[in-house]
Amino acid sequence: MLNLAIRNLKIFFRQKSAVFFSLLGVFIVMGLYLLFLGDAYVGNSTLPGMKSLMDHWLIAGIVSITSITTTMGAFEIMVIDRANHRDKDFFAAPMSRRTIVGGYILCAFLVGLIMTLLSFVIGELYILSQGGHVLQFTVILQMLGVILLSTMMSSSFVFFLVSFFSSISAFSTASTVLGTMVGFLTGIYVPIGNMPDSVQWLIKTFPVAHSGALMRQIMMKEAAAFTFAGVPLEYRAGFEEFIGVYFLYGEWKSSPALHLAVMAGSAVLFFILATWNVSRKYK
Amino acid sequence: MDKIIQVDQLYKSYGALQAVKGISFYVERGKLFAFLGPNGAGKSTTIDILCTLLKPDRGEVLIDGIALGQNNDAIRKQIGVVFQESLLDPQLTVLENLQTRGRFYGLQGNELQKAVERALTVVEAHEFAKQTYGNCSGGQRRRADIARALIHTPKILFLDEPTTGLDPKTKENVWQTIENLQKQSGMTVFLTTHYMEEAAKADYIILLQKGEIAAKGTPYDLQDRYSSDTMRLKARNPEKIERVLAENQLPFEFKNGIHVVALTDTLLAIPLIQAMQEDLESFEVVHGSMEDVFLNIIGGEWEHA
Repeated sequence: MLNLAIRNLKIFFRQKSAVFFSLLGVFIVMGLYLLFLGDAYVGNSTLPGMKSLMDHWLIAGIVSITSITTTMGAFEIMVIDRANHRDKDFFAAPMSRRTIVGGYILCAFLVGLIMTLLSFVIGELYILSQGGHVLQFTVILQMLGVILLSTMMSSSFVFFLVSFFSSISAFSTASTVLGTMVGFLTGIYVPIGNMPDSVQWLIKTFPVAHSGALMRQIMMKEAAAFTFAGVPLEYRAGFEEFIGVYFLYGEWKSSPALHLAVMAGSAVLFFILATWNVSRKYK
Repeated sequence: MDKIIQVDQLYKSYGALQAVKGISFYVERGKLFAFLGPNGAGKSTTIDILCTLLKPDRGEVLIDGIALGQNNDAIRKQIGVVFQESLLDPQLTVLENLQTRGRFYGLQGNELQKAVERALTVVEAHEFAKQTYGNCSGGQRRRADIARALIHTPKILFLDEPTTGLDPKTKENVWQTIENLQKQSGMTVFLTTHYMEEAAKADYIILLQKGEIAAKGTPYDLQDRYSSDTMRLKARNPEKIERVLAENQLPFEFKNGIHVVALTDTLLAIPLIQAMQEDLESFEVVHGSMEDVFLNIIGGEWEHA
């Protein structure tokens, strides 16, 4: 399985265009934010450190979607192998199908992890370059844990999606659509507070949005304490709900435990569904 | 006789299309065995079944004494397959491809290195081993494919149309590799082809048509049974010639000033030519070719490649 995962990793990282396109969603967010969104959020605020706070918000959002778009890119190898019948060569060798499929999943997970960590590091460097502070060591550790879980969830979610595709063109279309949609579904392009009610509910039930919210809570904690010092609590709560740091379900406010549970739960659920779908198809 | 592959009453359908209709045959150990037939005859389907890639609808298959469907991994260790399409990874070098594939069979470290080295030597692929597979020429790719199939020193080598789509010189080269390999290692080689000249080099041929065995035998047997020799005469004096032919009860065709006569044996021509010596301008006697065999069995459906 490791052997196949290494093979898949080599193939992925040697295709420069695949790596680029898997990060397209991230580049779009970056571009949008730098060009318009950033000013729109920060521009008329009189609170101190607002710029830095929103930088953290942005990076948390980016880190949360990187794992989705990059695992999607890595899983493309599986679709290509199937479409070109390249997997015949694997099936004619004494390896179980579980090993073969496992190789793709492991590769996607590793790609997601590497790229997400990379985007986290680059994001931190960006914050630093804008005059912000580097996160505390314990906060970084928390982030690493969430990144690990979020990548597991993403690879299992994308594995489930991939299990439906056998043509390359259908898959690339789906992956472009998802790469763009995921920015909306996690409330990055447009903050959740600006969305109509129905879309807000969609975001609140979308698993990836939960890793986004949790990462925001972790990354923005320190900056928020500084910015909102001496500001009424209601104001801060309203603002944080508006930009999707917390989700409100009626009266009930989401907790880190809920986000973690949603992430772990969907990782397991989608993995089971995908395995079922794949074993149904691979005959 | 040592049968390394035994197939009994094999059936496979895709929906309403019956690809293989109850074929039975065996392959002797150490022989070069050819499956010949036009496109769509069921060659690839049969090979896919023997390589454990497709489940047959019905029928028994024994490969090196192991029943297909009982322990397919044990069979997979004994076989190497060269597929019709090039299936290695274009982004990896030939060397990396072979290393990855070697590990499929549990080869590691020193053992793996030796196996890769040996496979590269057999197909003479050292010079392009460090090139990415995608940058190799068609012939180099084919040789890399063969090296991949040999990585775990299988007992049986399957080749599905190994020379299709290659230019004549490369084709010859690849064919040479296969023949040498088979002679030197005594490996059983099972190949499919739609080129008659290639099949003619095999020890044994099965001719497949529409999922059924249309004929089988050694190339010599088949030529003997399904083709006839012809004598072509250019007459100086047609009437006399025709009289001699009539006396010998030989029917003939007269085309473009030439009398064409079918013979059961080339040697029969000698007394005839002697009898007609005075009245002939020229003559030729042609031995039945493999091409005749196939045209006679398959009829007009043969697709010339």
